[in-house]
Amino acid sequence: MSAEMDALIDVVVKGKIKEGKDATQKCLDAGHSPQEIIFDGLSAAMAIVGDKYAAKQYFLPQVLLAANTLYMGLNLVLPMLTGAGGETKGKVVIGVVEGDVHDIGKNIVKAMLTGLGLTIYDMGKDVPIKDMVEKAKSEGATIIAESTLMTPTLAGMKACEAILAEEGLKGQIKTMIGGGATSKEFADQIGADGWSYDAVEASKVASAFLGL
Amino acid sequence: MAMTPRERVLAAMKREKLDRPPVAVFTQSATIDQMDALNIYWPEAHSDPKLMCELGAGQAKVFGFEAVRSSFCLTAEAEALGCKVDPGKSDRTPMLKAHPFHFDPMEGSYDTPNLMAPEEFVKTGRPAVIIEATKLMKEKYGQEYAVIAGNTGPFTLAGHLVSTENLVFGIMMDPDKVHEWVDAVNPIIKAYCQALSDAGADIIQMSEPSASTDLLDPATFMEYAGNYVHDSLAQTKGADTVLHICGDTKPILDYMIQTGVTGLSIEEKVDSAEAVKIVNNRAALVGNVGVVNPLLQGTPEDCAAAGKRIAAAGFNVISPGCGLSALIKGENLKALVNAVKSL
Repeated sequence: MSAEMDALIDVVVKGKIKEGKDATQKCLDAGHSPQEIIFDGLSAAMAIVGDKYAAKQYFLPQVLLAANTLYMGLNLVLPMLTGAGGETKGKVVIGVVEGDVHDIGKNIVKAMLTGLGLTIYDMGKDVPIKDMVEKAKSEGATIIAESTLMTPTLAGMKACEAILAEEGLKGQIKTMIGGGATSKEFADQIGADGWSYDAVEASKVASAFLGL
Repeated sequence: MAMTPRERVLAAMKREKLDRPPVAVFTQSATIDQMDALNIYWPEAHSDPKLMCELGAGQAKVFGFEAVRSSFCLTAEAEALGCKVDPGKSDRTPMLKAHPFHFDPMEGSYDTPNLMAPEEFVKTGRPAVIIEATKLMKEKYGQEYAVIAGNTGPFTLAGHLVSTENLVFGIMMDPDKVHEWVDAVNPIIKAYCQALSDAGADIIQMSEPSASTDLLDPATFMEYAGNYVHDSLAQTKGADTVLHICGDTKPILDYMIQTGVTGLSIEEKVDSAEAVKIVNNRAALVGNVGVVNPLLQGTPEDCAAAGKRIAAAGFNVISPGCGLSALIKGENLKALVNAVKSL
């Protein structure tokens, strides 16, 4: 590690949004590769943010600030990666299931998973399940992450398992669910591969799926 | 003479000692089973006062709960103020499709809140429907049942207008702009609360989900939500007031009391006995039967047990902890009602 990398981590954790890009540039100038910056810097910073959230030192406003600072850095280094073989630790399709528009939780999970160094295909909110499965197939994603706060939309999560089973993709594409109306019991009942209470747990579930 | 359900609910609001607490749905109360029994369905009942009155009475008429309640969603106010709303289906509440106002903390660019006057708002769109439905409920059911009117809290409504995520992000980037918007909606909400009371509501139940600890830092609850609720809901004349917030409200129970409302409606994420201990008779406690578990996914026995447990813990009103899912089975709701009534 270097002083520049420590500074970047501090900038993200504290959500010094205006310094996000500069701090990342300084890491590049100090000779760190984009990969190092993502995995040792930005990713490490989001892990600290996750710990602070779990400890209730941080709440959503602080997490949003850190996440937006993270993206300042990512926007700089991600384009550099695509030229160099496009290495990624994994691909995830994420979205709020059709019939629901509550997407703040999904956005935070996205930030945490991005922080892990994963490639995220964000389908947004009110997304037909079929579209999520199709996207996973076409991009070669191995995780579908679905969120809903509401109850009528729980049926969509069940439908996702059925579609994957029908197409023989169960196991090949793993599913993780979350959101206010979901529970571990529900995930087990429908055959989802994982459930998480919050975004911090979600990053652990995804890490376990990918063997990180 | 035995108490009427109305007397029991209003006595519970005053935290009087009763032989048993009332059992009533203070949150969204309609279900498919009620719709089938009454042959009145969503989405029509969201925008027709007569249908809203009858379906809102369904919790009492079909299942034996001890109150009636107008409004089934939290989108009426936002729609009247310009949000595009998908009316939903028989099993799904309406949802906001778009936020009409620009509020971008990242770019530092914000619309100025030019909203309609409060006097105009209460005559507009679905808020006017809900006021009329409340009036009809009072006339038809108000002798026997407490009439509850549900509405939306100031921080939540401001979020509906500008995007909740942006509003919460704004707290870190540009707090003055956040206040500008919550300031702008609050007089409208205050007028709406009073209009619902004037129409005959015994209780105004305001839902302020965006002020939950999942979205707001408890340390800033009063600044961005609580003080506004104090100025709008808690000042309502002629009705009791209940503040509903979802999620784990343990860190903000004291603040919720500070708003000056009559009662607090909370979810099962706070242990019932612990909530009673913290609140310590400073406000009426309403709740906190889990909507997903046991009501949606549990058995009638689970629901009965939850009702008894929460009554034993000392809640003033036994109620679902959040808006009912329309898919909840009638047998589960009946089991809850019967368990509490047999105490």
